Amino acid sequence: MITKGPADELNHFKNSVAMTVTLISFGMMFASLFLGYFLVRFNAPAWPPVEIENLPKVLPFLSTLVMALSSWTFVLLEKRGEKKMLWLATFGLGVLFLGLQFLLWNALAESGILVSNGNVPSMVYAFTWVHAGHIVLALMLVLWLGHLIFRNPAQLTDVKLINVGKFWHFLGVIWFLMYLMLFVL
Amino acid sequence: MDFSFYERLTGMIAAGSELILKVEEQMSLWERVKPPVDISSSGHLIEWLFNYTTYVNLFWFALVCIGLFGFSFLYSAKRHKKAFYTHGNEKNHLLITAAIGLGVFLSVDLVITRVSSRDMKDVFWNFPESDPEVVKVQVLAQQWAWNFRYAGKDGEFNTADDIVELNKLVVPVGKKVMLQMTSKDVIHAFYLVNARIKADVIPGRFSKLWFDTNRAGDYEIACAEMCGPHHYLMRAELKVLEADNYQRWLNETQERALATNDTESMDLRWGWKWESR
Amino acid sequence: MAFLEQHIHDAPTSFWSKYVVSYDHKVIAKQFLWYALFWGLVGGLMSMLIRWTLAYPGIPVPVIGHMLFPASGGVVPPDTYAMLFTLHGTIMIFFFITPLLIGCFGNYCIPLMIGARDMIFPTLNMLSFWFAMASGVVLFASLCIPLGGAAGGWTSYPTLSTNIGQPGAGQTMWLISLFLFGISSTMGAINYITTVITLRAPGMGYFKMPLTIWGLWLTAILNAIFVPVLGAGLLLLTFDRVFGTTFFLAGAAATSGRGDPILFQHVFWIFGHPEVYILILPAWGIVSDLLSFFARKPAFGYKMTALSLTAITVLSTVVYGHHMYTTQMSPLLTQSFMTLTMLISIPSAIFFANWLGTIWKGSIQFHSPMLFSLGVVFVFGLGGLTGLYLASTSIDLYLHDTYFVVGHFHYTMAASVLLGGFAGVYFWMPKMFGRMMNESLAKWHFWLTMIGINGIFMGMMVVGYGGMHRRLYNPFIYEFLHKLIPINNFISYSAFFAGAAQILFIYNLFKTVFAKNYPAAGKNPWGVGTLEWEIDSPAPHYNFKDIPEVKCGPHEFGNPNLKTGRDYQYQTEELVKV
Repeated sequence: MITKGPADELNHFKNSVAMTVTLISFGMMFASLFLGYFLVRFNAPAWPPVEIENLPKVLPFLSTLVMALSSWTFVLLEKRGEKKMLWLATFGLGVLFLGLQFLLWNALAESGILVSNGNVPSMVYAFTWVHAGHIVLALMLVLWLGHLIFRNPAQLTDVKLINVGKFWHFLGVIWFLMYLMLFVL
Repeated sequence: MDFSFYERLTGMIAAGSELILKVEEQMSLWERVKPPVDISSSGHLIEWLFNYTTYVNLFWFALVCIGLFGFSFLYSAKRHKKAFYTHGNEKNHLLITAAIGLGVFLSVDLVITRVSSRDMKDVFWNFPESDPEVVKVQVLAQQWAWNFRYAGKDGEFNTADDIVELNKLVVPVGKKVMLQMTSKDVIHAFYLVNARIKADVIPGRFSKLWFDTNRAGDYEIACAEMCGPHHYLMRAELKVLEADNYQRWLNETQERALATNDTESMDLRWGWKWESR
Repeated sequence: MAFLEQHIHDAPTSFWSKYVVSYDHKVIAKQFLWYALFWGLVGGLMSMLIRWTLAYPGIPVPVIGHMLFPASGGVVPPDTYAMLFTLHGTIMIFFFITPLLIGCFGNYCIPLMIGARDMIFPTLNMLSFWFAMASGVVLFASLCIPLGGAAGGWTSYPTLSTNIGQPGAGQTMWLISLFLFGISSTMGAINYITTVITLRAPGMGYFKMPLTIWGLWLTAILNAIFVPVLGAGLLLLTFDRVFGTTFFLAGAAATSGRGDPILFQHVFWIFGHPEVYILILPAWGIVSDLLSFFARKPAFGYKMTALSLTAITVLSTVVYGHHMYTTQMSPLLTQSFMTLTMLISIPSAIFFANWLGTIWKGSIQFHSPMLFSLGVVFVFGLGGLTGLYLASTSIDLYLHDTYFVVGHFHYTMAASVLLGGFAGVYFWMPKMFGRMMNESLAKWHFWLTMIGINGIFMGMMVVGYGGMHRRLYNPFIYEFLHKLIPINNFISYSAFFAGAAQILFIYNLFKTVFAKNYPAAGKNPWGVGTLEWEIDSPAPHYNFKDIPEVKCGPHEFGNPNLKTGRDYQYQTEELVKV
């Protein structure tokens, strides 16, 4: 297929192809983690296993809420003309999410769930670690957007917003799945 | 490391030079490459399938070679100045390639899939669990040794009268032997070349294996999965004894076990109740 | 026709911007080439040490022995031996073949052969090289620390690769190094996929791309999908080693909590089996093209070949379980993996038939790239057919973890890929450096290498059939292997022979690239019609002054109605009707 059309459209096309491939890559990585989860879960005699019976409930719920809110503000950021406030909201919520994750790890340790308590606690920690690592990466991208919004609006193209947005929403979805698997079901 | 391996190394230098001398004995190439003697009732199945695959593969590889060398000879630029212009997408071209693809599939793949499925189901996965005659042995692998545990006279594993042998598996000739295996530390693999079988021995789960023997003698058991720097030293003996010799050996070791087993020792307790699933 | 115009950087002027932080795909390709050659040399030397140990157990390694292993008087000690074969595998797969075929040829050929000025994301391309560099540095550093590098096998199965089996930092550094390498590969893959999708010159449909590009593109797709899976496995194993999680710990090692070491094997082989095809697909593509180029005949059944490669790519994702027959998965799983594995032989046989169809009634010119390509057909024939034994669950009971496996995968992954890589180097050398490599040296190199590697790998299959298992420091601890000693020595002699033959290549390469007053190769020394041969050699800054418009396929040779005096058509020429 030969792409036709004005330069903008082509530029958009190449970036969305690349972003799609990137998300497939990241998706495969999380999918492998989830595969591990399902293998463990279906081989476990009882669920939830004793090691994680008293997982904190409130903190992860709050994180999920924060994540959803930030996704929403990002959607608005992609659509509305007024960018600065929405950007601040998104970024602030992202940082808040990370903070909540730190609190979660503290709470886990306090309730006696340690990394080395077997593979189910290992999973709770490792999944949240890997996810938080990606959030840090995504926050850097959001910072870069912020730089464009505040300092260099001429360079701010739709495709940049949309692609960072895709990554941000993708991490939101991954978090939601993790929340469901680890804390709810 | 509980043994100095430079000591071992110097020993090995001597062993190495000895081996190089030993090779002098005459043996035809075919004798050399043949797998060691098959002492099981099932090994010939694997050999049959191996040979079948070899013959069919030779046929197909001969075709490849005829094409490769024949065409290279016939159609070299010197002999064949003008290439024949074809894209190879005419109907008969497609048919020939498809036929070759299908031919390979039908002649090799289908046959070996069928035969090996049958062999696995009828023989290798057909564990003689319910056979009362079967000799049951528990195998615990560790870096770098094999522990073989017999139930002892009470017929129960993990009791004070268990017989535990280090790096030595003794079995009666003609009887089926059923192994239940696990590992203390890393993944090992129980490899009995004379019965053409192997299975990984994995910490945290049981693997099982069965074989039988049709001649007495001394054979070797190897670890086939990389398990650390001294993987190559993880060797055990397999002694196949005639029925009466086996009984004598069993009685002797049973007595010795009763006399020396330290019931307080934790080492005796690494066994497990036989898992019958 | 509208076409995606790329941003054009100015031609770099300083050494730094030209050779170090270059955005130019051609320079990055050359960076990868040298990177690969360096690691190939290291990995090759390791294999020589391994073969020395097996042929002469307990005898000091000549020349370098006392320097490398002073504590044991020049003898390779067992723990070092384990490290050697671990890193030989790792280096050859990730640091030699991947950079050579994917890094170098991928970067060099994709833009040139599809008629683009550069990769679509030049910065990402540069980052990909520097991540690879960082990973190389970490791996190299791991060789120099106390307790040495990783020694758990290139598959690094836990629990051997957790702290109980590998207490040193070497294994952790190995994990980090591979993780970095994975990032680099993924970046490269994203770039390649997007480039092929968006930057093909006008008229260059998917079925007008050279098969080299097909191979590289499919490889990139597999890379983008499956390298992250390895990444996940490596991360979890790193957590186990560093933070005390217990994903893969079991047995006595699991003091609290318990994991499952088999989980790692699943994750590893979900990546690991496609990885085999990641390595071989570019070589298949290159060979499919070169056979046609030098038989002066269109590629036989081009579309069938491209589709077979695609079919193999798809199948490769669902057969990984055949690496794990001996772990005693459920019989149902085992049998389905066997059946799926067997299916691969259909597309393989089809493109094999097409290869032979390509040289049938050709007018074959035996230049060095052609010799190497024909060599690939021979060794891959052997490698592919021996795979059938191992795909069978019952034969695998006997052959799993024996030298038969080693011989098989070296035939497919080492011999074929290496010969394909050499073919590529000889073929594209005039375009990369503007100079032809010495033909007679190249031909000597081919024949000596061919004899050597067949001696090695055929010998390995023979001792494997004799029952010799893998990764043994001294196999002759076992009595049943004693009779194999002469064959083992023969393998080692073949290995030294094949190793020595590579000196010809290195000499030839360095002479071609660095000699003064070397004759320049013309624009199109091989007489081939793909896009890169229409521009100057070496390819100029930003490749094409005007984006070419493609009008015919890449393999138009020997058309009887050609009136140009050439026996081939450039892809920019209208196809002459027969």
